[in-house]
Amino acid sequence: MSQIQPVFFYFFAGVAIAFSLLVIFKKNPVSSAFSLVMVFFAFAGIYALLQAHLVATLQILVYTGAIMVLFVFVLMLLNIKNTPIDWKGTSLIRIGTTVGVSAMLAVFFIVSFKKANFVPASGLFSPERVDEMGGNTQVLAELMFSEYILPFELTSVLLLGAIVGTVAIAMRKNKRGES
Amino acid sequence: MESLNLIKPELLTLTSEQMTALMPYFWMMAGACLAIIGSVLQSMQPKWVVFVLSIASAFLAMVSTWNTLGHPPILLFNGMMVVDSYTRFGNLLFIASGVLTSLGAFRYLDREKIHLPEFHILVLFAVMGMMLMISSLDLIVLFIAFEIMSLCVYLLVGFRRSDRKGNEASVKYFILGGAASAVMLYGAALLYGATGSLNLSEILQYAVVGNDLSIIFVMGAWLMVVGFLFKVATVPFHMWMPDVYEGAPTPVTGFMTTGLKAAAFATFIRVILSLGYGRGMIESLQAQMHDLIWVIAVVTMLLGNIIALTQKNLKRMLAYSSIAHTGYLMVGLAAGGMGAPDYSSVLVYLVSYAIMNMGAFLTLTLMSGPNDEGLMLNDLSGMSQRRPWISFAMAVFVFSLAGVPPTAGFIGKYLLFYQAVQSGETLLVVIAVLCSAISVYYYLRVLVYMYMKDPQEAVGDQRVSLWSKVAIAFMVVLTLEIGLIPSGWIEAAKAAISHL
Repeated sequence: MSQIQPVFFYFFAGVAIAFSLLVIFKKNPVSSAFSLVMVFFAFAGIYALLQAHLVATLQILVYTGAIMVLFVFVLMLLNIKNTPIDWKGTSLIRIGTTVGVSAMLAVFFIVSFKKANFVPASGLFSPERVDEMGGNTQVLAELMFSEYILPFELTSVLLLGAIVGTVAIAMRKNKRGES
Repeated sequence: MESLNLIKPELLTLTSEQMTALMPYFWMMAGACLAIIGSVLQSMQPKWVVFVLSIASAFLAMVSTWNTLGHPPILLFNGMMVVDSYTRFGNLLFIASGVLTSLGAFRYLDREKIHLPEFHILVLFAVMGMMLMISSLDLIVLFIAFEIMSLCVYLLVGFRRSDRKGNEASVKYFILGGAASAVMLYGAALLYGATGSLNLSEILQYAVVGNDLSIIFVMGAWLMVVGFLFKVATVPFHMWMPDVYEGAPTPVTGFMTTGLKAAAFATFIRVILSLGYGRGMIESLQAQMHDLIWVIAVVTMLLGNIIALTQKNLKRMLAYSSIAHTGYLMVGLAAGGMGAPDYSSVLVYLVSYAIMNMGAFLTLTLMSGPNDEGLMLNDLSGMSQRRPWISFAMAVFVFSLAGVPPTAGFIGKYLLFYQAVQSGETLLVVIAVLCSAISVYYYLRVLVYMYMKDPQEAVGDQRVSLWSKVAIAFMVVLTLEIGLIPSGWIEAAKAAISHL
């Protein structure tokens, strides 16, 4: 089994974390959106390292290509001004607690993962097996329409529900039903 | 063309038993799709078309569930979903709460001038999410169903678009709920990494095999539990609840306290059992989890009841009382971790809580004035003289919530606490009984205002729609029926958990 190259993994993970922080701290919403694009690219890199090339490609096509462009469009249409984060309202204690607790959580996770000496249970589809069966795309396509048909179809139910709701929330007033 | 390598032919068809088992889901989906089409018809009033369609499809789904009640469990879609008696029991409860919400909301939506047909469609979708959630045996399906339910409810909470409180509630619930979903998803990922499977029964096999569980499994289990604790709103994760309950349209609040809470709790039981809780999980983790649930139960009951004492707004008071009731349910869960787990009392409690609370919120819907005003305690003064029947219904629900015999609330609490004492949780039960004694004060205060104070001027619309009348009368009858002759309900709950 081909191991993940640690150097590349740490590179992509570092990029992902750094740009995630930028998403939050950038003042300009458009730069936040583009930082998110970088995060998605880093994720795609990690997926590719895990031999999931199809997922990596889809990640770039769907997330960076479609969703983020939509984000930027919405930002453009809403014409949001640069709103600097107002730190005055938040007390130092609160910021301290937040940072402290998240750092503790991070340390806790890292230590327990290190100590775990953990051999991940191998799933059904190791990279070799996937290659044997015709590669990522074929395996994914076949599984999606047989074994995983239920979650696949349920996703469309989820989207349908979301669309209906969005129409209800976003529709102009006094169009109908509001006599 | 290359041949297909992976597809198992048996997964491409459904046997007739499987079709029968799936019928309730098909009815709901068909109802939702037809309602979407019906809502754009120009010739008729869309709200009526959608209302009738959603009630009809829910009714058909109930009938088809009812007809299969005694059938053996049926695995579907490669074991990703199961339709057993637990599922069927839950489905009936969720569909009923959806129907009652639609019935109770009809006049309310007209009054608030927000009667978009989408309301009823969203309720249908949310109910479908609940039904799928309780029947899922796979963490992916579970998560998607969870999201179907949650998304629809976020939107329903924000249905009064021009209302500031409603918007705030919706956004708050959406953001915190999203965070909770992320926590749960991370938990699911860790469980998959530890066990190599997303299937609940395979996870259970891994958990009880007796070898020491890896720390990854333990962390995944905890994160899953935390995600559910948020959804059922136990104490450290209850912050969102009072604001959301107050800001949501009143019928939606009723829907959230009954359908959503019952669905989250029932699924929580299924998941925590599949993690091996009370079923031979290794001792240390079992003890930890039991102790944590114990502590959460105590804190939730105390905090919910004590803060409810100080509330002047009825909706907010019921929100805190709903937190307290979650605490009582957690007592059942703590007891389930000890000795022979028997969750039938928890199910009976869930049903009776759903019935009485749905009734209480439907009645509140009728009492409230425009923009959900007129729900302060003062506004209820002398309600019994102005609106004797509504006051009577409210009195029944309030007695039941306080746990006074002969009502459903009494039977629910009695069974739950009896079960807990049997499992050796005497101290916990003592605390729970004391808490419910506290709760009597704020529940009965409602009655004091309604029956013993001087009447006030009427607020808002005094007309009551036929739908609400039917729904409330039904709830009153059920509350008293469970209180007087509970044996049938207990049998049903026992049968429901037999396949768990």
